[in-house]
Amino acid sequence: MSVPLPPVPTAPLPDLPEPRRRRWLQWLVLAQVLFVLGVAAAGYATEALGQRIWLRTQPVDPRDLLYGDYLNLRYQIGEVPGSLWRGPRPPRRKQAAYVLLSPHPDSTYEAVGVYPERPATTGRQAVLRGSVQDVWRRGLRLRYGLERYYVPETMSRSLHQRRSLRVQVSLAPWGQARITRVDTTAR
Amino acid sequence: MSRKLLETEGPDWVQRGIITETQRGQLLALYPTDTAAVGLLPLLGSLLVGLSALSVVAANWQGLPELVRLGLLLGALCGAYAGGEYFRRRGNLNLGMGLIALGLLLFGASIVLTSQLYQLIGYDLTGLLAWAVAGMGLTWLYRSRLLFLMTAVISGIVQGYNTGQMGAFSYLTAVGTALGLGYYWWRRPDALLGGVLATGLLWQSALLINHLHVKITWFFIPAMLVYAFGDWQPDRPAGRALQGPPLVAAFLFTLGLALFGESDFYAGQLRAPLVPYLAALAAVLALSLWGKQRRGRLGSTTDWLLLLPGFYFTGGLLLAVATLVVLYAYSGSVLWRAHQEQNQDRVTLGTVLFVLTTAVAYFKLTWGFMDKSVFFLLGGLLLFGLSWLLRRRAARTFASSTPKS
Repeated sequence: MSVPLPPVPTAPLPDLPEPRRRRWLQWLVLAQVLFVLGVAAAGYATEALGQRIWLRTQPVDPRDLLYGDYLNLRYQIGEVPGSLWRGPRPPRRKQAAYVLLSPHPDSTYEAVGVYPERPATTGRQAVLRGSVQDVWRRGLRLRYGLERYYVPETMSRSLHQRRSLRVQVSLAPWGQARITRVDTTAR
Repeated sequence: MSRKLLETEGPDWVQRGIITETQRGQLLALYPTDTAAVGLLPLLGSLLVGLSALSVVAANWQGLPELVRLGLLLGALCGAYAGGEYFRRRGNLNLGMGLIALGLLLFGASIVLTSQLYQLIGYDLTGLLAWAVAGMGLTWLYRSRLLFLMTAVISGIVQGYNTGQMGAFSYLTAVGTALGLGYYWWRRPDALLGGVLATGLLWQSALLINHLHVKITWFFIPAMLVYAFGDWQPDRPAGRALQGPPLVAAFLFTLGLALFGESDFYAGQLRAPLVPYLAALAAVLALSLWGKQRRGRLGSTTDWLLLLPGFYFTGGLLLAVATLVVLYAYSGSVLWRAHQEQNQDRVTLGTVLFVLTTAVAYFKLTWGFMDKSVFFLLGGLLLFGLSWLLRRRAARTFASSTPKS
């Protein structure tokens, strides 16, 4: 401990000069505004440019006290048989999963395979990304982030009494997805 | 010194002839009354108005058209930043920084609410990462402790969301936090921020280890890297603060090993591949020692006792006992150094660690062999005796040091 302390190599960081700070703040706030606008634009673009598919689902537990009304949706493709898993290793919880969807004769889409990496598609097939929530012997439970649909107050009461719904999802080529329509007239 | 103390004690000092009345006046002039307190009522008023506006908006949120909602979010965002700058310029720094911080929070809320507005999901991780980046930028612009703290927390939340909800670890977030906040702290060392930074980085390391599904002992490689970084920090208290969280983690881990290491099943869960793990640990140790040597702090090398990889031994009870010896060596060294440095806080810390270790050792070694009532009686007596001894030792150290200084 007799070694002398070497001099401090760096001077403490001074404050930014006022005009420079204000200029940078303007850029930073502008960037934040543009980013939020970008998120909104991505929403419109996903609806306009995305591939639209219909999924079968049913509502559960319709009301949340804090955030107004939304539907919790349980998708048919939310639970898939384990035999559809196409990975080299068994699936793990929280792992990303790409679900290959093929149209059914009644034009809703069903899962035909679950992959750890994005698979190639043919014809009218589509790929939806989700994550593995649970793995058990016979199957997998998947989450897509589409499980919550915010609906106008007037609509939810009629919706949550239905046992089966069709939901239209728009899949953007860059991987984002959004619910664009809920079909209340389905069987 | 606070003005309040001067106001209450000042007349007494004048009476005793320590200072004159003029000097008392001069001293009081040095500490003007806090103007912030005067502004408190308008602040509270505007807070209430703001809250009522917020609740009106929140109640009707779902009913508003999309573009109006977007406009409200962006308006609030810009308003908060503009208000912050305005109050800062008028000299009301605390209120100004509070509004800037509110702006940062509103940016995060805007990202989340806008995604929700368009029922949008995305897996590219950029959404929330932008939030952390904005926090980083503001921290650098304002050189503010509050914003630093918020950025560390936001990065932790972003990373937790990524790994928890999306099943992906964002290395960009982790590296960004380490470099952006780390370099800031390096240039503006601060004890509180050191602790916050280290905790944030450890949290992200833990998420990474969990995400990679590797043995949890790998956690100590990034954790001790954080520790080694503290060794290089020229500002000693800030460096120690950064090293606190890694040491707490290592101590708790070693304590757990002493308690459960006896079962080879648990120890087996900890065994990372021997050569890569030890090589990585040795590299970090070398880095740390180099830093200690350069800054003349080789005395704190005993911290590394906690990192002895005892879990590779398959000794059963012997391993638990060996771990206890290490714990004693560590807490003993903390005590010894604290007495040498005559640092009251560290003596307390060392005492707590020592007593904790003794409790574990006692529990471990006697629980199976003794009648329970005798166990508790003897244990209590042992702890009483120990704490009395340590306190007496501490008192003697400080008593002998006072006359000298």
